[in-house]
This record gives sequence, C-alpha cells and structure tokens, in this order.
Amino acid sequence: MIRNTHPTLPEFEYIRPQSVGEACDFLTRHAADARPFLGGTDVFVRMRDGVLNPKYLVDVKALPGMQEIRFDPQSGLTIGAAVNMNRVIAAAETREHYPLLADACRSVASYQLRSRATVVGNICNASPAGDTLGACLAFNGVLHIQSSQGVRQELLSNFFRGPGKTTLQTGEIAAALFLPLPHAGSQGVYIKLGRNKLSDLSLVGVTALGYPDPGAPSGYRFRLILASVAPTPLIAKQAEDCLAAQPVTPASIQEAARLASEACAPIDDVRGSARYRKQMVKNLSARALTSVWEKLNRRGQNDISSD
Amino acid sequence: MNEPHNKVSISPVGENKPRIDAREKVTGAAIFADDLQFGSALLHARIKRSPHPHALIKKVDVSKARALPGVKAVVTGEDFPGYIGLYLQDRYIFCRDRVRYIGDPVAGVAAISEEIAHQAVELIEVEYEVLPPVLDPEFGASAQAPLLHPDLAKYVVANFIFPEGGTNISNHFKIRKGNVEEAWGQCAAVIERKYHVPHIQHVPIEPHVATARVDETGEITLWGSSQSPFAQRNLIAQSMGISQSKMRVIAPFVGGGFGCKAGVSMEALAVAIASQVKGRPVKLLLTREEEFYTAFVRQGLTAYFKIGCDEKGRLLAMENKFYWDGGAYTEYGVNITRASGYSSSGPYEVPNIKTDSYCVYTNHPVGGPMRGFGMPEMHAGLEQCIDELAHAIGMDAVEFRRRNCLKTGSVLVTGSQMHPTGLPQCIEKAAEAIGWGWKAAPSAPNKRRGKGLALMWKAPAMPPNAGSSAWVELAEDGSVSVGVGGQDIGQGVFTVAAQMAAAALGVPYESVRVATPVDTRYSPYEWQTVASRLTWSMGNAIVNAARDARQQILKTVSEAWEESPNDLDIVNGVVISFKTEREIPLKNLVIYGLPKPDGQGWRGGPVVGRGSFMPTYVTGLDAETGQGERAVVHYTTGAQAVELEIDLETGRIEILKGVSAFDVGKAINPELVKAQMEGGFVQGMSSALFESLQLRNGAVQNPSFVDYRIATAVDAPKDLQAYIIEVPQDDGPWGARGIGEHSMVPTIPAIANAIYDAVGVRLDGPPFTAEKVYLAMVDAGIIQ
Ligand SMILES: Cc1cc2nc3c(=O)[nH]c(=O)nc-3n(C[C@H](O)[C@H](O)[C@H](O)COP(=O)(O)OP(=O)(O)OC[C@H]3O[C@@H](n4cnc5c(N)ncnc54)[C@H](O)[C@@H]3O)c2cc1C
Repeated sequence: MIRNTHPTLPEFEYIRPQSVGEACDFLTRHAADARPFLGGTDVFVRMRDGVLNPKYLVDVKALPGMQEIRFDPQSGLTIGAAVNMNRVIAAAETREHYPLLADACRSVASYQLRSRATVVGNICNASPAGDTLGACLAFNGVLHIQSSQGVRQELLSNFFRGPGKTTLQTGEIAAALFLPLPHAGSQGVYIKLGRNKLSDLSLVGVTALGYPDPGAPSGYRFRLILASVAPTPLIAKQAEDCLAAQPVTPASIQEAARLASEACAPIDDVRGSARYRKQMVKNLSARALTSVWEKLNRRGQNDISSD
Repeated sequence: MNEPHNKVSISPVGENKPRIDAREKVTGAAIFADDLQFGSALLHARIKRSPHPHALIKKVDVSKARALPGVKAVVTGEDFPGYIGLYLQDRYIFCRDRVRYIGDPVAGVAAISEEIAHQAVELIEVEYEVLPPVLDPEFGASAQAPLLHPDLAKYVVANFIFPEGGTNISNHFKIRKGNVEEAWGQCAAVIERKYHVPHIQHVPIEPHVATARVDETGEITLWGSSQSPFAQRNLIAQSMGISQSKMRVIAPFVGGGFGCKAGVSMEALAVAIASQVKGRPVKLLLTREEEFYTAFVRQGLTAYFKIGCDEKGRLLAMENKFYWDGGAYTEYGVNITRASGYSSSGPYEVPNIKTDSYCVYTNHPVGGPMRGFGMPEMHAGLEQCIDELAHAIGMDAVEFRRRNCLKTGSVLVTGSQMHPTGLPQCIEKAAEAIGWGWKAAPSAPNKRRGKGLALMWKAPAMPPNAGSSAWVELAEDGSVSVGVGGQDIGQGVFTVAAQMAAAALGVPYESVRVATPVDTRYSPYEWQTVASRLTWSMGNAIVNAARDARQQILKTVSEAWEESPNDLDIVNGVVISFKTEREIPLKNLVIYGLPKPDGQGWRGGPVVGRGSFMPTYVTGLDAETGQGERAVVHYTTGAQAVELEIDLETGRIEILKGVSAFDVGKAINPELVKAQMEGGFVQGMSSALFESLQLRNGAVQNPSFVDYRIATAVDAPKDLQAYIIEVPQDDGPWGARGIGEHSMVPTIPAIANAIYDAVGVRLDGPPFTAEKVYLAMVDAGIIQ
C-alpha cells in the first residue's frame, strides 16, 4: 500500500506559550490534538507523511531555561531541551567531559539538520534508531520533566517503552537532560553502521563506554548499548557484566560481543535483515569494545608516565 | 560534415570554456519551472491514484470531491479517450477501465490550494475489482500470466517494435547470427549465468512539475521541467485530439533529468485537468514519493547469458535472453528492449550469437528511459561473464578484452562493420591508470583489496529519423543568438552549443548567447534531449545554421568588396580578406547590410542562418535475425576500472579509485566531457552499491530518501580520473560523439569484478550492499 503524503504540511495552529505553566495547561486542555515540538525534524516529517495530525503545535523552545547548556563541575551537565545538536557538539564541556555524546551527535544526519535537531527531541521521539540515545544512557542520563504538578526526574533507563513510546504523560514537557559527571577515566566510542557514509539512519548502532573501577573483579566497568536491534535502545547487560567479571582480554571482548548479539532481537525491514543486524552487533560490539579498551590502556600509560 | 569551416585556427572548439549557465545557476538567478509565478488565477492539481497493482475500475464517484469548497475541477478517464505513448500507444492519460500499477492515475482535481486538492482526492471513491498481478517479467512472459493489455495487438506502434498480441510481451527483439548450437562444441570454456538488475529511479533534485493553461479557443500552453518539449507537444496534442500547432510547450532550466523527464509522463495530467478549467493555469508538482513510483523508473532486468570461447580466448558464441520488467506501460521501454538486443554482444566481435530480448508488461511502476537506456543493466551481467570466461581459460581479463574487443572494421552483432573506434586505446588507458596486475596491501588486516575493469558500448537509441534544427541570428553589436530546441539538463549542452556556433561562424565564444528557455513556438525543432545525441545531432544542425549565416555575411561583403567569397573569412567577429587584407567587424553589417557606392542603395540585411540535421542513413533490421546494414548512427565506446577495499567485518565497500576512458571522437569542451565521466561514474557507483526500488506486491517500499539511498560526495572515491580518447566520428561535428550516458554503463560490472578480485564472491546482481556482500562472504565460508 502507498501512503498519500501531503504535498506540503497540513494545516495547524502555531502556539508559543510564554511560561511552562501555560504550555502544560494548553497541552492538557488539548490532550487529543496538541503536540509539543523542538526542532521539529521528526514532527514535521511525520505530519507531512500523514502519521501525525495535530491541530496545535506547541513551540516549547522559548520557555525559560530551554536554551541553556550548563556545566556544574560538582554534579554534571544540564542540556536545555531546545539546545540543538551543533551547540552540544560545540560546547567545551561536552568535548571535555562527554566526548562520546559529541561523537553520537555528529553521526546524526548533516550539519544543516543538526542546527535544528535536539538531543531531547531525539530522546522524546524514542526511535530505537536514535543515535544519541546510547550515549545518554551510558552516562546515566536523567530527563527533567515538567507538568502542572511540578517537576519530575526520570532515569533514561526507565524512560523508553517501545518505538515512539515513553513514560511521558499528556501535559508533560521534557525541559532538560541532565548527565551526571562521568566516572573518572571514562572512554567511549559510538559506531554507527549506515548503508552509505552520510546521513543514513542506523542499521545498527553500538555505544560503548568503559572506565576503571577497582570494585569490579576485572578492574573495569563497561556500558554497551545497542541501537536499531530492539523496540527500544538495548542495554546489553550480560555483555557489560561479562567484562566486569573477568579480565578484559580479546577473548572476553569476543565473548561479550557474542552475548550482546544473543541479547538483541532485531527485525527484517527495508533497511536490512535481522540476520545481518545480529552479526553486525557482534562484530561492531567487538570493534567498539576493543577500541574503548585500547583507549583505556593508552590513557593508563599516559597516567603512569605523568606520575 | 567534419571540418565545417575553416581556414582559421582561433576556435573555441576543444577549449574548456566556462559554462554559459554557471553564473545564473550559482547565484540562484536561474529560473526553474517551479519558480514561475502565475498569480492568483493559479490552481493546484493532485491526483487520485490506484492503491492496487492490478484491478478493474468498477465505479468512480467524484461527487463529494466536487462539492468541496475550493475545488474547481475533477476529471476522470471518461473525459479523455485518447491513447498516448512514444513508440507504442498503450496508455490513457487517466485510467479508464483498468489500473495497472500502484500509483496509476484514476482521477485528477484542481483546487485553489494544494491542500484542498489533496483533501478532495481523499474524498474520491473508487470501486475496484482486484485482479491477480504480474510481479515478475519471466512469469509475465509465460502463458500462465494474466493478460495486462488485452488490446496490445490493436495499439499503434512504431514499425521497428514487435509486440506479441495475446501475451504480455510488448516487444520481442531477436538476433540470429551464425550458428550458436554448432559453436558450443568448439568452445574450450562456456560460462552460463543469470543476473537480476533491480528497478532504480533517476532521483533528480527537482521533481517533475508542470503547469498547463488551456485558453477559450482550446490552445494549450504547458510550462514544465522537460527534456522533450517537442515530443510533448506532439504526443499530448495527438492524445487530446488537437493539432500540434495549438499546443505550446515552454521549458525553463531542468533540475536534473537523467531520462525521467523525456517523453511524456505526468505533464499530460496537468493538461487534461486544465482543459476543464479554461483560462486558469493548473499546476502539478509531484511529491518526492510520487517521483519514486509514478514517474519513469529504470526497468528491472532478468538476464541469462551463455558465452563461450576457444582455448586461445577467442569469443565464439553467445546466447542471451533478456526479460525486461517493463512495468504497467511500455510505450517508451519497448525501445530499451530493442537497444539492448542490437547491442547484446557487448563491445565484442562474436561470430555466433542468438539473442531474445523481451519487453514484458508487469504491474510495476512504469519503466522508461534512464541514462544508459538499458546498457548499464545489460553490461552488468555481460562484463562479469567476460571476466569469468577469461579466468576459466586462465587468461588475464584485460588481455582477453584486448583480443576480443571491437576494432575499426570489426563485424558487429547486427552484421555491419564497426566505424573507426578508439576502444583499444580506452582499455590501455584504463588498465594503466588503475595499475592493472598490481595489488596494494589493504589499509588494515580486516580488509581486502581488489581491482576490476569493464568495457562498454552504446549507440544513440532513437527512431532512425530523429531530427534536429537550429538557427543563428546576429544583433547590431555583432553578438550571436543561437536558437535550439534541445535542453540543458545539467550536462552543459548550451555551453557546447555556443562553442560550436562560435567556432563555425568565426566569432568569440563570449559573444554567443543561447536563446532560452526552449519554447516550441519560437525555438527550432528538436526530437528530444536523450540518447546522448545533442552534441552530435543538434551540433550538426548548429554548424549548418552557422554556415548558412556565414554564407549570407560573406556574400554581402564579397559583393561590396568585389572579391571572391573564397578569399574571405570571419575571424573573431571580423570579416577579413586574405587577398586584400581588408577587414570589417560584423557589427552593424549583420543588421543594416552595407551601402552601395554613391547612394545607390544597400546590400544584405539582417542575418538569420538556419540549419537542420537528420540521419538519413540508418536502415531497418530484419525482424527475424536482427541483421541489417546500419542499425544505428554510431557507437561510443569506453572502459572503466576501479580499485576498492572491502571490510570483512561489515561487508562495506570503499571505492578507492575510479578511472574512466572513453572515445568521444572529439571533446568540444574537455572539462565538460570529464565532468560527464566523473558524474556518470558516481551515479553508476551509486546504482552498484546502494540503489534499488524495493518492490513488494507492486508497492515501492522505499519511496523516499530515508530508505532509497544514493551516493553522496563522501561516498565517491577521492581519486577519480577521466581520460579522453579522440578517434573522430565521420558524421559528428568536428568528429564528436556523445558521452552523457556512457560513463555509467560499465560501472556496475567493473565494481563486481573488483569485488570478486578482492574476496572471491559474485552476487547475482546489484546493489552490492554491505549486507549482501557480508552475507555472501559468510555463505561462501570466507568469513565465519
Ligand atoms: C533528514 C533527517 C535525517 C535524520 N537523521 C537522523 C539520524 O541520523 N539519527 C537520528 O537519531 N535521528 C535522525 N533524524 C530524526 C530527528 O532529526 C531526531 O530524532 C532529532 O533529534 C529530533 O529532534 P527535534 O528537536 O527535531 O525533535 P521534534 O521533531 O521537535 O520532536 C520529536 C518528538 O518529541 C516530542 N517532543 C518534542 N519536544 C518535546 C518536549 N519538550 N517534551 C516532550 N515531548 C517533546 C515531539 O512531539 C515529537 O514526538 C533525522 C531526521 C531528518 C528529517
């Protein structure tokens, strides 16, 4: 079947509330036909496709604090919901403390798109292919969510419920993403496999992060999060545990990669087959973990030499 | 026809003149069809399309759509009984009784906004009786397949197309040369293969757009993004049952064509709807999705090859069967079938050959012309077989090609002789530039490198008598205006037209303008901008027109100076005499003429040169054997080679280097020729690695750039080389032949051969996606 896409955008009313209260009120009152938006790079596309048909689009970019990016050396980084990806990439704090997030942002589409698209929009859109979700999960990100009742904080690891499904309730607005300070010595890698080099959606995405942890039997902890191989971003728990429990070696990395591949449940779709995706999870997890491990070791050597 | 002028060496032909349209396009000043403004009278059209691949239309109820405020017209097939089509008239403007692909137009709406038109379309109710579809051309050609065009035998058809009434085969082209059956016995090696080449789309940056207005007297004006304003005038007028003189087509700049804007596709819809709202312009702009499944697509191909050679590597026999997935209507596609048939030997001399090329109706999107016109699809398999055959007898694949390739005087598959050709030089150049026979170490332990090479040939595929015309007009300041009916679709032909006019007339390139936009009311006739034929055919017409103008000028001056015209020339915009060394600039003289002495009157007057060109020497081919004297005007030949690297962990291919060498006869503008070679390589590469319309039950699953991937600049090799070989063509201006399409013809097999060289696998067809390559390596046990 074909979808009869709109030639242009269908009609809608543009709402620009002045306060969070006003915005939440409006969204609550028009629960069935209002929608918040940031960069609009998902919303407008889906409206034109005829998938979404909101009567009101509520622009939340101008609400207080939404455009702020703030780093607190004691606690971590707060990214206002409306901060676009190019700003996230350009921020010195991201580059210094969360380079993995900058890398993930850089893998999204093109420079032009990233000057509209936001990390919070990527999160709220909750596509399993979302490229920045893995990094945000790896850093134990927390979403600040506003409603008429006030603010609630939701751990991202609890936020995603299915493709396009989250714990967001009607009338709620994601206001900011908070990333706690990363563990000392963290090293990360994002590998995105697209069909061609530029601006494809992820066929498979692998986010890997590692840091020294004297409490772990191996002396390290790893995070491994997979995109596009499950209904939500998939945290490969068994693989993570495997590398904490035994010395990190090429063999244990292969074993972790195998566990990751076993844990995922990809589907066949126009972008690729489940069979290929599963194999790519294995190969690219191994590649990502190896690369993180090399970075950790390089860093270790530098530390020693600087002693 | 070569050496049309000239005693003079100052000539812009062969020079890298800057593009005549560069400034306009770079600054954004260039006007495209969607830029045209029509004011508040403008209506917007949208189309009700079939959701079924194959069904009978039982009832169309447009009453709700008509009642929607803002709707000005709703039309259906009832209103337009005329057939339309280029080589085979097998199509109605709107479906009347039957729909044959998902997207087939059933009704059209004109309204005061696009959105209202869209809503009206949703209100149209159509009752269908769904029929079983044909989704595979081989099945479609069989007796079991449901008939898609029961009236095929009654359709009006060109005399070189052979439909088989009572079947879905809308053209069956045959070659019977020598005796294939006897030849197999003498072969030392025989390769038999089957390949499948999927449908792809042209993906021009600018989607199809057309605005039509029909005035009170029934005169039609059509503004559109078009490669074929004259063919559109002719075909739409015929279908609407009006005289060609009542139809005018205006064609501003085109934002990419690649064949999909040739012939007629959606333009007739805009005209038909406009005919019901007289006086109001009606605009139809396809969405990108519609572009993918309702504009022309490149036909799919299932191809069987059987090729054999003797122990010395001499090609002895070929037996080829092509099943073209022509789609719902094959009005244009039937000639692709023919072209691939008369070129089915590839650029080789083969004494025994049997080919059956079938154009088959299916319930897929409508196949049409695309850059290469069947040649990329056909060469994709053929040039892999050649490699395999060379390997089978233990011969180097380049050496094998050297021995068998067409040389000047070789006997062609259609029985005639090859004209002068530089194909052997192309092979040498490509092999040398890629470093044939030498393999560099891969860039990482998990990668493998390979090289591959492939040849091609292609003739302009067109009716034997496709014509061109041109005029050349001069202004008071001596500047020259060249009228042409061909279109610049990005290939640079306006620049080349100006260069040729300047050279043939004897004026500086900078003083030549091309009279655009092409407008069938004022521009001279041109068959179509297709087949890589403009530099050659329109070029000949321009040279003739310039020569005509030149004669008029020299006559005036020679009479005034009482000298023989043979002693005069025009150099750099100045008429000079070699004998008396007198000179006079063209300005003024080309409008006002020259005074006779003593107030006795004047000579000359405004100069307008006219010229036309039509090949008169193309003969027919025997319907049973495909043999004939001169099947085509000429063949452009060439070679491409690639070096690539494959990632064993992902299957991803990186093209490291691409080399093209083509014999263009004469490069009128070498940089533009090289740009065609580079662009064609990248488009060929894109079709080799990424592109395919994923069809399921007739529906295109990926009708947008989200999932129809094309190569971007970063996918292109950093090292892209282009070599020009020049063995002049006897019937071309300065010896030129076409190059527009050829550069994407050998890319798929060159890459396939390099993949084999790298990892030892062969796939049954493009695209060679990372996934396919990876899984093939797993299945072959190359990786675990
Ligand atoms: C050409 C193109 C290429 C793309 N490539 C990629 C890619 O490579 N990788 C990738 O991951 N994505 C890609 N995307 C998808 C998209 O750009 C990203 O998901 C982007 O991060 C969305 O951010 P946004 O600010 O534009 O979100 P919006 O479109 O504004 O919103 C996204 C969703 O979140 C909801 N929402 C928005 N703001 C809030 C809020 N404050 N509170 C609650 N809900 C909210 C919206 O209603 C909507 O459902 C691409 C999109 C396009 C058009």
